[in-house]
Amino acid sequence: MTAPNNDHSRDGAAATGLAEQQANAETAPQMPGRFLARRCTDPLNVVIVLVVLAVIVTGVLTTRFFSVANARAILSSSAWVGITAIGATIVMIAGSAVSLAVSETATVVAMIFLATQQFGLATAIVLALLAGVAVTALQGAVIGFWTANPIVLTIAAGFAISGVATWISGGTTVYPQVTRFNGLNDTPLGLPLAVYVLLVLTAAAQWFLRRTTAGRHMYLIGENPRAARAAGLPVAQVTVIAWATFGFCIAITGVFLAAFNTSANSALGGTLSLDVIAAVLAGGTAIGGGRGSALRTLGGAVLISAISDLLLLRGFSTGIQLLVKGILVAFVVIAVHVRSTRGRQ
Amino acid sequence: MTDATGATSAMASGPAGPQVVVEGLNRSFGGVPAVRDVSFTVGTGEIHGICGHNGAGKSTVVKMLSGQLPPDSGRIVIGGRTVVLGSPQVAQRLGVALVDQELSVVPELTVLDNLLLGDVCAPLFNRRRAAVARCRQVLSDMGLDRIRPQQPLSELSLGERQLVEVARALSQNARLVILDEPTATLSDAETGHVFAAIRRVAARGCSVIFVSHRLSEVLELCDAVTVLRDGRKIATTPVGELTVSDLIVQMLGEAPHRLTAARVPDNRPGHSLRIEGLHVPGRLTDFSLTAEAGRVYALAGQLGSGASDVLRALAGLHPRATGRVELRMRAVPFRSPVGAARAGVAFVSNDRKSEGLFLDKPVAANLLATRLPALAPAGVLRPRREQQAARSLAQLVGIAEHRLREPAAALSGGNQQKVFVGRSLCRDDVYALLLDEPTRGVDIGGRAAIHQLLRAAADAGLIVLFASTELEELLELGDVIITMRETRMIARYEGGIDGAALMRDMTQGERAA
Repeated sequence: MTAPNNDHSRDGAAATGLAEQQANAETAPQMPGRFLARRCTDPLNVVIVLVVLAVIVTGVLTTRFFSVANARAILSSSAWVGITAIGATIVMIAGSAVSLAVSETATVVAMIFLATQQFGLATAIVLALLAGVAVTALQGAVIGFWTANPIVLTIAAGFAISGVATWISGGTTVYPQVTRFNGLNDTPLGLPLAVYVLLVLTAAAQWFLRRTTAGRHMYLIGENPRAARAAGLPVAQVTVIAWATFGFCIAITGVFLAAFNTSANSALGGTLSLDVIAAVLAGGTAIGGGRGSALRTLGGAVLISAISDLLLLRGFSTGIQLLVKGILVAFVVIAVHVRSTRGRQ
Repeated sequence: MTDATGATSAMASGPAGPQVVVEGLNRSFGGVPAVRDVSFTVGTGEIHGICGHNGAGKSTVVKMLSGQLPPDSGRIVIGGRTVVLGSPQVAQRLGVALVDQELSVVPELTVLDNLLLGDVCAPLFNRRRAAVARCRQVLSDMGLDRIRPQQPLSELSLGERQLVEVARALSQNARLVILDEPTATLSDAETGHVFAAIRRVAARGCSVIFVSHRLSEVLELCDAVTVLRDGRKIATTPVGELTVSDLIVQMLGEAPHRLTAARVPDNRPGHSLRIEGLHVPGRLTDFSLTAEAGRVYALAGQLGSGASDVLRALAGLHPRATGRVELRMRAVPFRSPVGAARAGVAFVSNDRKSEGLFLDKPVAANLLATRLPALAPAGVLRPRREQQAARSLAQLVGIAEHRLREPAAALSGGNQQKVFVGRSLCRDDVYALLLDEPTRGVDIGGRAAIHQLLRAAADAGLIVLFASTELEELLELGDVIITMRETRMIARYEGGIDGAALMRDMTQGERAA
């Protein structure tokens, strides 16, 4: 990407040194138009607009899709995955790709939450969150300080976490001694508490990523880790912060899962790890890091729920739902890839 | 003329006539002309230089000649035949070989495989032994006798890889070899080998087009030089009638003023950088230096001399470095980049693309990348404050304000480098600015601008320390010049330095000439 090759193709003008003035005069008036044009031809936006249009059109043709009750159902079903996906977005932007230990971590957090109910709800929540943050931040430290491969590391961590959980719980289902957590299943204004938590977390994460030093460092580190290191940015520390935040989000999902199910066994987390990745990718966050946002992930989570809901209403099987989810993620990932390689040429 | 397809050449132009004729080439991008009515000829066996600052149209001409880009109008004649170079493969079959400024060798393959790579004329089933023998010959022509054909390329230094790439193009028996900035990453000794090899292919009757920013090299090597400016041809002049300043005038339309040196060093000991016994196993041996604020220190050394390793070690990028470094009386924890940065060291790498800028991020984000904590005392950024800071930096380094929102990748090399350097300027928490090859791949205008920025930074009280392999840059910018060779410091000069002495220090024992 050296200068002489690309000056022309990008700006259509000689844009250095003494030619600067002239180049500026030529490119300045075109700016807004070109900016809009770029937005409209951005493959990611094209894919998302097409998918949303398809959902709307099919939705109009489907009875009961556009109803308040169904909207509630869509939001509710996206809440648990969405909460963790917000944390996963932060980690992905910071360049650590994905975690495959999410289900296991959420399961263990749920077990801890239920097993500590006798100490009071607040204590149980604090202990559960601390456990989630500690376990995940530890993985972040290994990735940040020793540049471990996140995928390999989290596969190992997932086995280790569920191994320890099974060992301590004796492989049986964990039941609470007392039940004080029913408040977590409340539905103020008709929506589960988890939906409100999701919205607050999204706003907080968006602000954190855009407006704080740590958040902005994450974008830089994710885009070019070597440059970030050479510039003396605190790569390892920021990576740990990202993973700790992720752990916090996983733990919240774990607590809600526990409260909803009122018991926890080793299968509680289910396919959470992969659902979370799908939501983040469907939102258009780049798997390679450096691009994405919490808002986009919220959109991705809701979109996946809406599509599943739509297929369900039209009577398609679970298999078809999974298939469509896979196709959606594949298209968005391809669009993100096309966009980033096009920008580099 | 070794190529079988050259049979028609005698008809049109005769054996001594021009081998390559370029007539009225035009090419625009999105309505904006990049090359306008460019014509020149290259004779058989002639080495023809093309000069011009970034954006002058050099690379567009090269792309049209090598089949990467079709011209809008105009004619290219090779060996007396008008040719349509529809693709790089077609161009190669017609005898055009290109050495691009980007490395296009594959580090995982062996040297031999790399030499055969991309040669469309290579036979399908290679005779291994013959190929190895030819490879040895090609390598020794390039002064690379120490390299074995079976060695993986990844074991070679960057400069040696570049030599292999040049060797590949020169060994294709082409009628026209185009070299686009082939020496940008080479030391002067390596450059000497490349020049010798180019002269040999030219003597065999091959025409050579040599594109370079290094004007003294152009004058040393070429027979004639065509200068482009704003897409137009300014002149084609035989080198006998040219000097470097003539070339600069042709390229810029006016000569850039030279920087004058009149400065008093700030020799308060509390403001200096003290390096004692800095050592990096295998790369740097026992380097000591006290650098005072307000001056520019130049480390003169070829690749592998240790000059760039001094900077990398200070920046925390050599974890195995040992020694003692103090900046403003405080020890610098130089075994980690974070520690070095906290102590007030800012580093500008020689690898702008992979170790420098965040190319997909806007220019503004790049200018602010390392100063976010200073802009956000409580860790929270204020958009207006950021914009102000970005704008004033853009003004300082000479980037138009409306480009702040564009990705850094959209800027030319020279402007990218200005952003990279600007990132470390005007920071209260930086006391020492280290730059490795501060103007690599930068046009003359951009280079003067960057030199002025560095001079101004020193005047503002920074310690500026840079490494370079270019004599002109070292002499122009350095207040103190330290020569290095084979991992050691050779000498230290202050004022009254002559280029020949520098050259001797840097290359003795390497270049027999």
